[in-house]
Amino acid sequence: MPVILCRNLTKVFGKTPALDKLDLTVDEGTIYGFLGPNGAGKTTTLKILTGLSQPTSGQAWVDGIEVQPNSRHLQSRIGYLPEEPSFYTWMSAREYMKFVGRIFNLSPGENDRRCDQLLELVNLEEAAGRRIAGFSRGMRQRLGIAQALINRPKVLFLDEPSSALDPFGRAEILETLNRLKAEATTVFLSSHILADVERVCDIVGIIDQGRLVIEASVDELRRRFARSVFVVEFEETAPAFAPLLDALPWIERVHTEMGTEGARFSIRVKDMVTAKQELPRVVAASGFTLRRYETEMPTLEDAFLQLLGRKDSNA
Amino acid sequence: MHSLRVMLHNELRYQLRSYRLLIVAAVFFLFGLGTPLLFNYLDVLIPAEDFVLPEFTATDVVEEYLSTVAQVGMLATILLAMGIVASERDRGTAAMTLSKPVGVGAFILAKFLALSATLAAGAIVGAAGAYLYTFVLFDDPGAGNFAAANMLAWVYLVFATSLTILFSSHFKNQLAAGGLALVILIVLALTSGLVVMREFSPGALMTEAQSLAAGAGIQNWGVVAATLTLIPLLLLAAWHVFRKKEL
Ligand SMILES: Nc1ncnc2c1ncn2[C@@H]1O[C@H](COP(=O)(O)OP(=O)(O)OP(=O)(O)O)[C@@H](O)[C@H]1O
Ligand SMILES: [Mg+2]
Repeated sequence: MPVILCRNLTKVFGKTPALDKLDLTVDEGTIYGFLGPNGAGKTTTLKILTGLSQPTSGQAWVDGIEVQPNSRHLQSRIGYLPEEPSFYTWMSAREYMKFVGRIFNLSPGENDRRCDQLLELVNLEEAAGRRIAGFSRGMRQRLGIAQALINRPKVLFLDEPSSALDPFGRAEILETLNRLKAEATTVFLSSHILADVERVCDIVGIIDQGRLVIEASVDELRRRFARSVFVVEFEETAPAFAPLLDALPWIERVHTEMGTEGARFSIRVKDMVTAKQELPRVVAASGFTLRRYETEMPTLEDAFLQLLGRKDSNA
Repeated sequence: MHSLRVMLHNELRYQLRSYRLLIVAAVFFLFGLGTPLLFNYLDVLIPAEDFVLPEFTATDVVEEYLSTVAQVGMLATILLAMGIVASERDRGTAAMTLSKPVGVGAFILAKFLALSATLAAGAIVGAAGAYLYTFVLFDDPGAGNFAAANMLAWVYLVFATSLTILFSSHFKNQLAAGGLALVILIVLALTSGLVVMREFSPGALMTEAQSLAAGAGIQNWGVVAATLTLIPLLLLAAWHVFRKKEL
């Protein structure tokens, strides 16, 4: 059953189109990664789905409820972390959490428990009594994540949840998301940190200029868009190696980096199977001292860059 | 109802924690004490040799205090209210709150009620100081009339609050909101003596307050009725305007 459904969602700011007939379906219990270049319309979509902004046309449903601006029915079952979370800075972190808990009508005891639990989850228990005014960007993002979870939302909307987090924070949030998924929470997150998306998201949707370009699982995207690239490094500068490869039919392109310390070849191939068998032989026959030999893991970034037709990465 | 209670609790706490309540009370207290003191020691402050200072009465002192409330109190109200919604929208805190099950109505009403309460506290403290010192240094200004007049002055400030909140809900720039509210309040005050306006304009409310203080009672009930009607209407307009905003 789809938990998030967008039909022909369109949003125009003056003359700027932000969303152009966006169709989107997210199933229950998935972690959905919403990607796209700057200005693609990710934040706009999240704002509409959380009832903060009105679409110019089109409809959307979240957990079976039609999305209406400021609909309390909808808002009581979602959690939302904005792109730049902003708090009443005269409050302490704990006070803000309690305030949010009261909005959701938690009983005082439940509210206390929930606040402590979540502040601990985002590692803010020590700073909980301090005024938010003195919080760093990452601390604010942590608090933003904690407040979005207070009502045990059915659907969690996160706009770039890890953009300001340190590596520990990122690992923690990914772990939290996986745990939420186990509790059947649907997570809809936008991000530019593709490594994170790869690690947690089941499905990825890529949006560009307000339209969905593709929607697929991370594995499928990798398979479809991964460049087949081998990396070979020699101890010596090996000028004779590239011409050796150029003659072979299964080679597509070779990118050479020569240094005083040796040489690095990024080799893109047409036929992965043949390459896997043949390339080691070519390397051995070349007589150079091998330092490193590997197949580059295909990444989501490759898919992203290729799909959106921006400049190719290093190969 | 529940969210209004939560929001109101929060706004009241803000009035306290941001020292708004304290500052407003201090300002009113200063004028409350200052006005009778000034009138009493005017002869010391301005040594009269060539001319004779008139003898001031309790009525003069009260009249002066009320017009101070109308002017300084109005400016303070605008300063306190102009950013009340605008700055929350600008900073993004409104989006945080309104993405949760809190209605725009509760959001705005809580702010209005909290600021009105702060102004009430200020008005009470100021009036108490003014009454006491006028009583001691001059004469009894008449507790009932004095209280009623101050109540009306407070209603005037509440009207200024609702007007400023309307503009604060419309503009993201709080100076624009405050500026427009100021211009309108000044125009209302300047035109308060004209025909129809004298009978129905909120700008004439302070004239009625003065009349009450002087013991002449309210001359135009239409002024009071119009103001009391306009306050909820302005809030309703604020709700209507803010509901349509992108957060
Ligand atoms: N309040 C607004 N007024 C005018 N234009 C807007 C507004 N909000 C967004 N836009 C425009 O809508 C488009 C989509 O913006 P949006 O913020 O949704 O992008 P995004 O995908 O979140 O980008 P980013 O990755 O940079 O966060 C952009 O062209 C942006 O300029
Ligand atoms: Mg964005």
